[in-house]
Amino acid sequence: MNLNQQDSPPTEVDNLLERSIIDIGIPPCPAILNRFITEAKKEDPDYNRLASTISTDVSLSASLIKTANSPYFGTRQRVRSANEALAILGLNTTSRAVAGIVLRNTFPHIPNLERFWDASARIARLSGWLAQQFEIGIRPEDAYTFGLFRDCGIPVLLGRFPNYEEVLATANADSERSFIEVEEEFMPTDHAMVGCLLAQNWWLPEEICLAIRNHHDQKALASADSMLPMMCRKLIATSQLAEHFVQNQLGLSLTQEWVKLGPGCLQILDLGEEFLETLYVEVAPIVLADE
Amino acid sequence: MNNIDPLTGLLDRFGCLQAAQKFASVSTAKKKPFSVIWLDIDRFKQINESFGHQGGDEFIRGLALRFRNRVSGRAELCRMGGDEFVFLVPQCDRNQAQQLASELTSTVEEPLTLGKLTLRPSASIGISIHEHGEDSLTLLERADRAMYAAKRNGGHMLVCSGDEPIPGRLGITLAREELAIEGTLHTALETGGLSLHYQPIILANGQIEAVEALMRCSVEGESIPPGKFIPVAEKTGLVIRLGEWSLLQGAMHARLLQDAGHQTKVAINVSRAQLISPKFTKALNAALLCSNVKPELVELELTESLFMDISDTVQKNIQNALATGVSLSIDDFGTGYSCLANLKDIPAKKLKLDRAFVSVLPEDQRALAVVKAMTQLGHELGMTVVAEGCERKEEIDALLEVGVDAIQGFYYAKPMPGEDLIPWLQARNTK
Repeated sequence: MNLNQQDSPPTEVDNLLERSIIDIGIPPCPAILNRFITEAKKEDPDYNRLASTISTDVSLSASLIKTANSPYFGTRQRVRSANEALAILGLNTTSRAVAGIVLRNTFPHIPNLERFWDASARIARLSGWLAQQFEIGIRPEDAYTFGLFRDCGIPVLLGRFPNYEEVLATANADSERSFIEVEEEFMPTDHAMVGCLLAQNWWLPEEICLAIRNHHDQKALASADSMLPMMCRKLIATSQLAEHFVQNQLGLSLTQEWVKLGPGCLQILDLGEEFLETLYVEVAPIVLADE
Repeated sequence: MNNIDPLTGLLDRFGCLQAAQKFASVSTAKKKPFSVIWLDIDRFKQINESFGHQGGDEFIRGLALRFRNRVSGRAELCRMGGDEFVFLVPQCDRNQAQQLASELTSTVEEPLTLGKLTLRPSASIGISIHEHGEDSLTLLERADRAMYAAKRNGGHMLVCSGDEPIPGRLGITLAREELAIEGTLHTALETGGLSLHYQPIILANGQIEAVEALMRCSVEGESIPPGKFIPVAEKTGLVIRLGEWSLLQGAMHARLLQDAGHQTKVAINVSRAQLISPKFTKALNAALLCSNVKPELVELELTESLFMDISDTVQKNIQNALATGVSLSIDDFGTGYSCLANLKDIPAKKLKLDRAFVSVLPEDQRALAVVKAMTQLGHELGMTVVAEGCERKEEIDALLEVGVDAIQGFYYAKPMPGEDLIPWLQARNTK
């Protein structure tokens, strides 16, 4: 199981996957690519390690899911996570595609993606953990997938609008208007809409697409007459809580999102403020883990 | 006494199962209906947390008393623990069970005073009807699952076993066939059962004017014709998500054609529901952004029925769409809600005549006269005029004769899957 093997599956799949990584439009994180290639080149690579490496990267995960869900494979059940996709595509195909991407270095440089890569991986991991620890009623894999892809619209917008970083900073700091309203002021679209359309294009489950679309929408999240399915609200609440812990733990400047959405999220998750206090300590090792 | 819940005096879980067994065997033997109603209080946890377990207990005891008063003699009452109640109702069919369930709902919803507060609780209810020979455990499980479906859909709702999870998914009641279609559409959205097929529009000189993207829906090998699924999608609001999907998919295909060296415009249908939504502009921009296509290679086909009532939002959406660089066309013109005044207000570049005019050509001279007048009108307004649904050479000759600019129809090409389009275009170019 190493990079030099040229056996089945057919090269069409290799091309399909490599093409898909390029089409996703979000550069993979270079550190993750390196970690993956280093492991894959070993005599006896560790499958679990490779799988977990890939599943922390937005771009690689999305490509795997999109390819595994493509009509080529014709699977009846749609793949919902990078791990499931890897099981279908196989490690050889995946490794070859990743190696091809590294070789070609096809991605345009988008400044300041580090924070996005780091945050999405940590939020995904912690969301999965929260869903596992508490009886939230969502699958941990879904919480992970949603945490990873929730903000996938951001790198796309960063790549296309030079001023988007300033817009993000303004939106993060606004204590009254919703994040989306701030984006609306400066942009023809917003990262939640872009993310939703992308996720739909990757054939991710509808509740994940809808949750991405509404993840800054206070009304959809918490109002009594919200039409947003409870499953979506739980996904959103879990990831917002995870993000709050990540920011808190890493000493990052706290965004205003938790101030605006936090109470609604706690209500959905049925958690009290006091309980939160004890959780701060418990989540620390998960937030701080490197992979 | 055994099998009695100490708090309420109702049958407990075990007592419930025993009683259900008894009713089920009577029901099977005598061929009489037997229903199970499973009721769960919404947000009971909050009540418990706000008032402590003692308050919670008081609440449950109060409810049990009300239930007893309401259904006494008609049903066997059970408390399954926590905030869950089961009503075993012998000689009760589906309609009667629904009737009783709605009585129970109003019983639950009567304001209840607890300490100084007045609570207005609600409930989620699942109903199952005993099937001949079915064991009581399965019957109870079905009711529980139906209740859970009601809960999952936001609570405060009644679901009959066998109907979940479709009813109430979007809060709209539909006929059974439509419900089935709605379910299929959801599955299609979630499992990749949607696709776009492309039908070329050909100019009089043989060049390709554009291709129209037409949605197809197929789940597990079974396809539903657009004439059936589009009305359901419109009714349920799903058309917005389907429309967004085709916006991105169509734009991506235009990009694919562009990369393959074909500057072919892709025309994408936009529904009324999309255009009256304040989020339309964002969705369009997101689709253009993600596909990275030249906007002039995307055209939006607006159905004429849209123009019977042009609101501020619609006008704004149209202006914003034009500002992105995409072009507009008016679909199905000439029947339905034709209003000439609207033509002057909509800055569309293309007018597509309704297929109803085409099928009667060339024999129907009056139809031909109308086509000719509409074509002239379109030209006066600087529009390209297209005729749809052309299947015979004589029709096309007559249409071109009166000045129609481009033809779409089976005569030239049927709608084809995306992967067949580039080879088709290449083959045509080399002719």
